[in-house]
This record gives sequence, C-alpha cells and structure tokens, in this order.
Amino acid sequence: MVTVALDLDPEKARTWIDAANQTHPSLVDSHHVIDARLGISNVPMAVWIDETGTLVRPAEGASIEVSPLRDMEITDDIPERMRVALTEIKKMPDTAEAYRAAIADWVEKGADSEFALSPEEVIARSQPRPHEHSRAAALFELGCHLHDTVGKEAAVPLWKEAHALHRENWTYKRQAWTLESTPEGEESDMSQEVGDVYGTSWLDDVLALGGGANYTVTPDL
Amino acid sequence: MLLTSLTVDPAEFAAQTGWESKPEGLCKGAMCVPAPEAITPEGELDVQIVSERLGMSLVEEPASRMWALGPESGGTALSTATVPDIELPDMDGNPFSLSALHGRKVLLVAWASW
Repeated sequence: MVTVALDLDPEKARTWIDAANQTHPSLVDSHHVIDARLGISNVPMAVWIDETGTLVRPAEGASIEVSPLRDMEITDDIPERMRVALTEIKKMPDTAEAYRAAIADWVEKGADSEFALSPEEVIARSQPRPHEHSRAAALFELGCHLHDTVGKEAAVPLWKEAHALHRENWTYKRQAWTLESTPEGEESDMSQEVGDVYGTSWLDDVLALGGGANYTVTPDL
Repeated sequence: MLLTSLTVDPAEFAAQTGWESKPEGLCKGAMCVPAPEAITPEGELDVQIVSERLGMSLVEEPASRMWALGPESGGTALSTATVPDIELPDMDGNPFSLSALHGRKVLLVAWASW
C-alpha cells in the first residue's frame, strides 16, 4: 500500500501520518498532480496497480469504512442546513464492505480476481476528460505555485476558475476552501461555508451536482 | 506541469507527463501523435505546439513568467493503463518513485487532512 496525502501544506498531513505509525510509503502531493496523472478527483480514492506496473482498476471511491455520519439520526433540533447535509450524506452509495472484500480478493487471486480489469476496461472506466478539465488542472497547479510563492490571495482567482471548469473535482475545491473555512490550528470543517470568497459551500455544490448520490466515483464491483 | 519557459527538455516532459518523444511522434502507451515540428533546433520541445497537438491546456501567469500545462484531453483521464513513474516526497522530503514497487501489488490511496 502507498498513501498519498493531497495537502498543500504537508505539515497538515504529518499529524495523521505520525498517529497512524504506518510502515508503508506515506507520500505527499501538495499540488494534487495525481489528479491529472491518475484521475483522482475526491478522497478517499484509490487505484490498483499490479506487479508489472499496470493499473487493474482506475481511480474510484475507496471507502473501506462506513462514515458514522451516515448512521447519525436527523433530529428536529439539528439546524436546517445540517439536516440537509446529513440527508445528502446518507444518499452517498455505501460500498465500503464490498470494496474491502474486492481488495482482499485481488490480493489473493491477482489477475484471476474478477475485480482485476483489463487495460482496455481500466481506460474505458476512467473518467471523461474534456479540454476544460485540462485547463482546470493547469489553473489549479499554477494557483498552488502562486499560493506558495506570492500568497493565497493570488491563487484564489485561478482556483475559482478551476472549480468552475471541473465541478466534479472535489480535491481542487475542498483544498482551496479549507484555507478559508478552517482557521490555522482548528479541526477540518466539513461544511465549508465559503460563500464570502468562493460564493458557494460544500453543501451547495453537492446539491448543484445532483446530491450525495453523485458525490463519489462509485466503484462498479 | 509547471514551466519557466515555452521550451522543455523531452526527458523532463516525459517524466512529468508520461509522453515520450520518439521518431514516430509524441507517444504514451500504444498511442503516438505525430508532431515533427514540435522539436526545436536545440532538441527541446516547443510547449505551444505540444499543447495544441495533445490538447494540453496551457495557462500563463504573466507576472512571474510561469506557465502550467494541463494533461492531455479529449478522451478519458487515462489514455494508457501503464502507471506513470510518479515521484513524490515523503514527509521528510525524500523522493519516492512508484517504480520502486514494481514486482508487488500496490493499492495507491489518495487522502487528505482537510
């Protein structure tokens, strides 16, 4: 296993990596280059690579645990927007158990696993890439460079355009949004109400893209 | 891919994008795109021509004279199932290449702290 943290500031990932005390390679991709190179668009997502360096599954949602938010009771005392958010989270496909079982099957059977795809299937199942997504990737990476060298304000216009061009890419959005919604040192803010800067929020974009059912690239197992 | 000029060394371009410069053109996996005019007299790649041939969006940041080149477009996110030799740092800044794991099955998981 290899983990890749999509974190503009690698130190944000360090706490988690240190706590996990992992023995596998734990890498950091501060400019999200694996989005363009492997088709990653949200987290967690994964690709499977065989012994020859060939993909046997393209980038797809890789949850192996059911989010506790899915089982949270939606009571009347919860604020309206949170109720809507929880409703959408419950609509997200739950493939955790099936995905975990598929990984175990591939580890045991290799190419004979029914979940290991041919190169042609891997390519065909990867997400569409129109020219707008290419421009979004370039804008996001250039924005990261400006963030690092000039400051966040220089990056925001490029990131906003990237978000508009590749709406289904949540790593571009959530990475940028978290710089607005999560003050230094605080816990991550899932609701990401970033209207002041980006004119949107996590929930607004989930709803605009058809709701929680469309939030992840659901693995077709 | 970030650029400081509009020409790039073919080896660097291949490392960053997976597209290799070969006699038959720019190639990735089984796909080759003829682009004879993309090679400059100095043996470098003309980024603007490459951008046009491969559908790679080219974005300029005039103030710092930087460019970013997006991935190829017009098809799917993957144009080959061969994994590019991606090199990324670990938490100590040490570079790690995915090719170091050849011979083993790899589950590559993307996550984030946010």
